[in-house]
Amino acid sequence: MSEKLLEGTKKILEYFKKRGLKGDVYGTHDRNISYSVMKGEISDSSEYEDIGFGVRVIKDGRIGFGYCVPGNEEEGVSRALELSKLSPRVDINLPTKRDLEAVKTYDESIKKASNEAAELTQQVIDGAGSVAEDITPSRGQLNIMFGTKVVGNTEGVFFSEDASMIEGYIAASLPLGDTSVIASEFAHSRKPDIDFYEVGVKGGSKVDSMRDKTSIPTDVPVVLNPSSLSMLLWFGLIRAFNGENVRKGKSFYRDRLGEKVAHDSFNLADDPTQDWGIGSSSFDDEGVVSFPLPFISDGVLKNFMYDLKEASKSETESTGNGVRSSFKTPPGISDRNVIVKGDEISDLCYDRVIKVDGVMGAHTANFASGDFSVVATPAWLVEDGEKRGRLDGCMISGNIPDLLESIEMGDDYKKLHLSLGSTSLNMELPSARIGKVTISGK
Amino acid sequence: MRLQQILEKLIEQGATYCDIRKEVWNRTSMTLKDGDLEAMVQGDERGAMVRVLYDRGWGCVGTGDLQKLEEASERALLMAKKGAKYKKEKTGLADVDTHTESVKIPMKKNFMDVHPEEKLDLLKELHSFFDEETANSTDLRYNDSLVKKEIITSDGSHVKMEIPRLLIYLIITGKSDTIQKASEGVGSTGGYELTERAFDKAEVVQERLKNLLKAKTPPSGKMSLIMDPHLAGVFAHEAFGHAAEGDLVSSGNSCLYGKLGEKVASEIVTIKDDPTIDSYGSFPFDDEGTKARKRVLVKKGILNDFILDRENAWKLDMQPNGGARAEDFRVKPLVRMSNTIIEPGEMDFDELVEQVDKGVYAKSSSGGQVSTVQGTFQFNAQEAYLIENGEIVTPLRDVSFNGFTLETLQNVIGITDEMQIGIGHCGKGQTAPVGDGGGHVLISEVTVGGRE
Ligand SMILES: [Zn+2]
Repeated sequence: MSEKLLEGTKKILEYFKKRGLKGDVYGTHDRNISYSVMKGEISDSSEYEDIGFGVRVIKDGRIGFGYCVPGNEEEGVSRALELSKLSPRVDINLPTKRDLEAVKTYDESIKKASNEAAELTQQVIDGAGSVAEDITPSRGQLNIMFGTKVVGNTEGVFFSEDASMIEGYIAASLPLGDTSVIASEFAHSRKPDIDFYEVGVKGGSKVDSMRDKTSIPTDVPVVLNPSSLSMLLWFGLIRAFNGENVRKGKSFYRDRLGEKVAHDSFNLADDPTQDWGIGSSSFDDEGVVSFPLPFISDGVLKNFMYDLKEASKSETESTGNGVRSSFKTPPGISDRNVIVKGDEISDLCYDRVIKVDGVMGAHTANFASGDFSVVATPAWLVEDGEKRGRLDGCMISGNIPDLLESIEMGDDYKKLHLSLGSTSLNMELPSARIGKVTISGK
Repeated sequence: MRLQQILEKLIEQGATYCDIRKEVWNRTSMTLKDGDLEAMVQGDERGAMVRVLYDRGWGCVGTGDLQKLEEASERALLMAKKGAKYKKEKTGLADVDTHTESVKIPMKKNFMDVHPEEKLDLLKELHSFFDEETANSTDLRYNDSLVKKEIITSDGSHVKMEIPRLLIYLIITGKSDTIQKASEGVGSTGGYELTERAFDKAEVVQERLKNLLKAKTPPSGKMSLIMDPHLAGVFAHEAFGHAAEGDLVSSGNSCLYGKLGEKVASEIVTIKDDPTIDSYGSFPFDDEGTKARKRVLVKKGILNDFILDRENAWKLDMQPNGGARAEDFRVKPLVRMSNTIIEPGEMDFDELVEQVDKGVYAKSSSGGQVSTVQGTFQFNAQEAYLIENGEIVTPLRDVSFNGFTLETLQNVIGITDEMQIGIGHCGKGQTAPVGDGGGHVLISEVTVGGRE
């Protein structure tokens, strides 16, 4: 627990009190250690430590934001107060004091792992290099993060929580004539329980299976691995659950609560209370106590998500989806720890399919319609469970809400954490088999 | 302890090289959604990063607590020593001229002196510019940042600089049979005077949305493509520029590895990356204290240079050219682009269009992705038109392209004699402000993928 963080937060709450203000503080103290891999070796190591406070002042129903670092807390409050004068009136109700149910987010052994980060990085390299002589672990990264976040407000909320995470990524390349092919593998966990050598082996094996090329079939189903599926869901579906998009008519799920929108066995929920979930936390960044929020249960649309501000505008309550990407940014609506489940079919490649391990261009999915068009790479043709060759330039297009109607889900659950610009995506999900897509390419 | 003393101590303890980059940031940002202030934030922060090279190992430690800088330097040395044990390959830093200099990028009107209310009023004025029939939803953003940096290196450079940056981003959505979105950014290094350009952009973005709302889905298959200057710049950045980043080249992660001096594009193609022009991706010194200079990456079709920091220049036996950039004091500098430009050619726009029997005219980017190893790209245009028999006919939407970078660059058959630069943010684990531009570019054949 960070003394400076607690002290600073208390100081800011006292300034609020002294000036008769309402408001909240979001403070973080983080340490981040990372090792980079280039060309089969550790190229460098870096780390940082950082404390800061995001201050939200509410005066006469007007909201102002500021941020500050230890030592200039008072300035942070003054700045936020000054800006609040420019804000329109919004009635937001800060959460009141409640009991927290602890969620497991921190493992003390992360500190030991941080001292062994070089060894762990070397294990990934060794794993990838062990697959074949001509395979190079060409790029990679190992990150270890731990820290504390605090949310306090003038209604008596004062929550703090420690969190830890470790992640490893490796891209392995294989020269083929005058060009190269590349494939990658990664793993994320709240605890240092990852077998990094195995992560390397998986990355190396993937690229090892890309030696032969075959032509692209256009009339077969597609099996997306967890990370490819997560990208499509993130850019083409999850925004449709955002309460603001719903209110403004930008969600294709508007007015469809209670309706069947997906295959009977399809379940998608935001559950920040899951122990050791990468995005789990017992409270959100506005001090709202976490609870599981199903979006789609057994194919039926159940809920949308709200932060405090949107809840006020939509005349509902916060679902605990107020998320700040750092102390410098105000809260916005975001999913936190998404869990996708289906009928857990153990082998999705049961006949002739295109198996996809990565997609390029998912961010260009049309947010309003769910239409997408991506290049699948790496991708293979798989027949009777065997990879028959890699596919180059394989383009897949379709519509996310449409393909949910017949989606089949696997049982190879994987935890993911991806940073996308200023937001991050945390999901646990298996592979999926989809039809109803257009496949093109040579 | 003074910065200089910290460096001296590290060298005494056996460091091969070390530097400190101290930064003080001041930022204002605000978002106006549908005419209402969504959020306005102001804040400042300060911090520093110490980098140490010990034998062949690097250790970099960033801290937001300047009182702890000496502790950070000790930790960086320790990490570098540990890193050295794991590394077989030697490393070094190519020589650069040292500088003791203080540079300020000027602001004609200092945005720090402009009251937040005036900034808010500007966004409100922009909001009222948009016609509600077309743009039924607007998301307008204002950001300014002033960073004061001090970089001091163990081999004698000591530079101080002030870089002000301003960005206004306009996103509007409208509805017809589908919902369409158009966006455009305006900004550069400089002061509040840059806001004057915002109204021109507002007009551009509104016109774009109008066209998107009546647009049809594109054809797919191989065809000709004309890219507008911004999209051409994004293509040069995404498809080519990333592959020209020295760290990717020296580590075998680029399809350009070993191709210096070879023909990689049609002879009418010259691609520059230039941090010294007046644009969003500009800086006077890079984050290793190397003076920024223009890099001619492709000269008349021949691969001529890479973007290089000192270490990768050493590895490739080339000259460093100011290619090291870090997002802020928390992170180490990486090899990054600045303003990437396709040099103007000799044609005019009508001449380009006349050459196209069947093709697409695409404007402005809505993102792209590349594989620098495989030399492939995929990217999307915000706005597009069908070209038939040398004439622009119908507006199109959801147009995306993909192909092999080097093959596509060989297919460039015309560039117009004009120069426009758009702005962007490049992601490579860290975000960097960049510029992308040039002239209009005609490519004889590329794969267009529509969503039919
Ligand atoms: Zn980029």
